[in-house]
Amino acid sequence: MPESIIAFSLGHLRFCLGFCPSQGEFIRFIQTVAMIEVDRLSKRYGSTVAIKDVSFSVEPGEILGFLGPNGAGKTTTMRILTGYLPATQGTARIAGKDVHLDSMAVRQRIGYLPETPPLYAEMTVEGFLNFVAQIKGVSAGDRPTRITSAIERCNLQEKRNVIIRKLSKGFRQRVGIAQAIVHNPPVIVMDEPTVGLDPRQIIEVRNLIKSLAGEHTIILSTHILPEVSATCDRIAIIDRGEIIATDSPENLVERLTGQGGYQVELRGEMESALSVLRSVPGVVKVQSEVTEGLTDGHFRYRVTTGSAEDLGSAIATAVVTHGLDLFELSRSRASLEDVFINLTMQEPTAEPVLDLGLSDLGSSDQGMSETPEISEISETPETAVIEEDEIA
Amino acid sequence: MKILLSNLLAIYRRELQSYFTSPLAYIIAVVFWLIGGLFLVALLLSPQGLIAQAAAADQLGAGAQKIDLPYEFLQIYLNLLGSLSMFVLPMLSMGLYAEERKQGTLELLATSPVTNWIVALGKLLGVVTFYTVMLLPIMIAEAIAFASSQPAFPPSVFLLGHVGLLLLAAGVLSLGMFISSLSASTVLAAIMTFGLVLLLWVIDAIANIPGIAGDALSHLSLLAHYTDFVQGIFDTSGLILFLSYIVLGIFLTAQSIDTLRFQRS
Repeated sequence: MPESIIAFSLGHLRFCLGFCPSQGEFIRFIQTVAMIEVDRLSKRYGSTVAIKDVSFSVEPGEILGFLGPNGAGKTTTMRILTGYLPATQGTARIAGKDVHLDSMAVRQRIGYLPETPPLYAEMTVEGFLNFVAQIKGVSAGDRPTRITSAIERCNLQEKRNVIIRKLSKGFRQRVGIAQAIVHNPPVIVMDEPTVGLDPRQIIEVRNLIKSLAGEHTIILSTHILPEVSATCDRIAIIDRGEIIATDSPENLVERLTGQGGYQVELRGEMESALSVLRSVPGVVKVQSEVTEGLTDGHFRYRVTTGSAEDLGSAIATAVVTHGLDLFELSRSRASLEDVFINLTMQEPTAEPVLDLGLSDLGSSDQGMSETPEISEISETPETAVIEEDEIA
Repeated sequence: MKILLSNLLAIYRRELQSYFTSPLAYIIAVVFWLIGGLFLVALLLSPQGLIAQAAAADQLGAGAQKIDLPYEFLQIYLNLLGSLSMFVLPMLSMGLYAEERKQGTLELLATSPVTNWIVALGKLLGVVTFYTVMLLPIMIAEAIAFASSQPAFPPSVFLLGHVGLLLLAAGVLSLGMFISSLSASTVLAAIMTFGLVLLLWVIDAIANIPGIAGDALSHLSLLAHYTDFVQGIFDTSGLILFLSYIVLGIFLTAQSIDTLRFQRS
């Protein structure tokens, strides 16, 4: 009898200890307003690690782009968020509900568009949406208005009574999106929503997604860069199962390029042109470039500025006041594409990206003496990447 | 509870609707009716048919043994129908989950607020309903034949036999549904389900061998209990056995869909 009491109290104690942290986490959650909260999520398939310590959060009404190369763990993360897969470690919460412990509540609050839209080919658009609304728990009274609004939202009015089998890929994708929003969920998860569409359809789908933001919180995955910069408020870049950056597209570009640059084409003596350009405050480095293909007396220069500050007008003024003729002045800015390649191609243990790129470029300088100017100040990370590989 | 019912109804209706829009289902139904009708005509009206035999026995006079013609007919015909169903049922159950896996709609079901066993139950009810619809015209044809019987054939025996057939079909469909949930290939599911049907026949054959093994198996044999139903013997143990097979199939399906989430994909 006494043993059993001890055993009971031990069990009770363990229960309390086990429960307390989650209560703490719950209180922490109430303080934040995030709609989607992912905390140190990991997923292993046997010995393969699909995602590792993934953490991010999405505010209500925001569009988060989940960017990464194929096989980086995007779909796995999406599937964990929707409750389709259980995580090995970590927690994910949608609208305050744990996706694993409170799976049914989460499923009701989430709209999910998998990579291939889940459609019953033999049903009509309206019949299919009615079925989805039913299993998502939309009450019979609300169903007609919800279906009509989803159909209108996705511009499917004229396809309302068409059998899904007869729809084109673009329309099917739209039915897939309609399926995800028919129960008016606060959170929408989309896995590669524009894959396999033609350019016009891609623009339509992007606009549709943008129009859904605000009242819905959206998380979408893609490996197409222009897509995130065109649709998303924030980007999470994932590579080999780990989040390596989360920020707005503009900040990402700025943070990871740091330096700006200009290309200038001038007519005049090279020596004086170089000194004029160097005299502009804020300019760090000026280099002459290859002049092949240029008219006689024209020279091209690469101007590197210290910050992201715009020096275009200062350069133009300096050039003109010193009696040189200005033929071209263009800003060269690293694109999101550069940032992405830079981020995803580096070794996980490497130093900050920009340093790595530039130092590698510097060290490869001797080997490539034919065109030292270009490689030295080139901001295109493709070059950096290739050279990095060559060194390795 | 209300939500569960409305979910069940939604799954059931979608499943049933998919049969009525599928050309394959119509072909299966037509073949079933054709062969079933052929059996019926051959058994009753052909020169070697039951009616001709009974007429011949009557001509021999008192010497020949009297037979209960409608009862004989029901037994033989239901056994034939049962065997025919064994070929048809794998084709009905093969697509239940394999099709969903192929189309990717399983991901929709698995991320909707519906439990796995509700989906399985709804699907099973759908396919059993379709099988019942296939059976109805044949039952009407039989009923017309029985209507001309004198003295009148007891409808309870007639109904019990067909309820037995439905229960047998539901059991096979339930296990077929489980097999269908194992792969994304409908052909593979059909072949494996047919293998299961063969296994049921083998079990029934072993059950007929006297001995401990035969005795034990005869309690588990679907076909042995089906024969009881056909003979007009209502046995609770038979009913429980059929229901157990049905529940087992639903349970295994729900589990198999659940474990699908843990596989690599």
